[in-house]
Amino acid sequence: MDANLQLMLYVIPVLVGLFMILPVGRTLFASLSETIPSLGTERGRVFSGLILTCLAGMAVSFQTLWISSKISEGGNFCASNSILSCDDVIGNVEYNTDPFFGIPWGGIGAVVFGILLYLVYSSSKEPNANWASSYLKYGTYITFAGFFVIVLLVFYEFQMEKICQYCTTAHVANIAAFIGFFRLMRLNQSKDWNTV
Amino acid sequence: MKYTYDDDADVRTTTLIRVMALFFVGIMIIAATTSPIATGTKEGERAPALEGEFYNGSGWSDFNLESYWDSSWGEGDISGQWVVIEFMDTDCPYCVQSAEDMGINANDFSGTNPQWDGAIVNFIASATELDLSGHDSSRAEIIAFRDKTTGEDCASSDCGSRPGAAHNFPYVDDLDQDNMKKWKVSGTPSYYLIQPDGIIAWSSAANPGEDLRDAIITLVPRESA
Repeated sequence: MDANLQLMLYVIPVLVGLFMILPVGRTLFASLSETIPSLGTERGRVFSGLILTCLAGMAVSFQTLWISSKISEGGNFCASNSILSCDDVIGNVEYNTDPFFGIPWGGIGAVVFGILLYLVYSSSKEPNANWASSYLKYGTYITFAGFFVIVLLVFYEFQMEKICQYCTTAHVANIAAFIGFFRLMRLNQSKDWNTV
Repeated sequence: MKYTYDDDADVRTTTLIRVMALFFVGIMIIAATTSPIATGTKEGERAPALEGEFYNGSGWSDFNLESYWDSSWGEGDISGQWVVIEFMDTDCPYCVQSAEDMGINANDFSGTNPQWDGAIVNFIASATELDLSGHDSSRAEIIAFRDKTTGEDCASSDCGSRPGAAHNFPYVDDLDQDNMKKWKVSGTPSYYLIQPDGIIAWSSAANPGEDLRDAIITLVPRESA
């Protein structure tokens, strides 16, 4: 399968998740609320969108880890002469691991999205538990910290003059997750948590 | 009061198990479908990039080591071209002494020697400037060393008087030590024999006392072997 076509397997869930998270989701997913009752409430819709986004973020991170392993074998996956060439970015040994422990960025992304998925999934199961508000705060802090990593990785891409479309999808997933966690955190602090 | 199984169970445990299961499925898929090779300068690792400008006798142009690699190469395949990289300094006395051997090896294993029936071995020299007193190199000195021309000093003697004939393999400009640092080369001369797929087969650092020529004869496949 073409690498860019395969990318759509992650882009579409991230975008659907983002739209569910955003206030505009109320209108967009109104027709589905009868079939899926949880989409009928603001809280349920943001939780669903956030779970979908974190799942897609985890999957695309695993895919980048897989790509970096394939490149190390001497193969290629999405090499291109154009600016969009994830092989050039993920395969660059100077930038494809974190500067402290040498862990591939894809592996870090998979772990972080796994943690976010755990936080949001457990909070959605027991939204009125004492720990749920803490979990939503942790999710907000983690995704906010992700912005600094995104800035660093985009800086690397500028230096290489190449863009990794798979990495960008993971970055968008982190931004969407931040919006979702932030909205849920604010909602949790309001009186409307159990009514919206 | 009658308790139903799982009534008091914390949802966090169930969720954690599910997310971890998902995570390990991802890890297992990667482990089952890939065999990652680390990039480094130890034997069995993928050779790091070696970039810069090289001089091949007619001028300086862009060099990229990756252009030598053939990912489809298989062990024993005689058609693949091997690479020898020498990290050297034109002012290092031992590099000057070994210049004759390098020239002989490059000619013997280049494919133009009818007595060599093995895979072609390409030679590349990466010329640096060590941070030592008296080591003051330049591109002009690299050219003089390679072409064996007079007018430049190589290790306190005229480059034209170094042992051996002029070299016919490329010299990469690494005066800023970029490549040397990337390859973690601790001293010169250092030699690496690299397979056609870019995997380091032998290095002088890992095999002290072993000769580069012996390593080539032992490791590079030959028709007669």
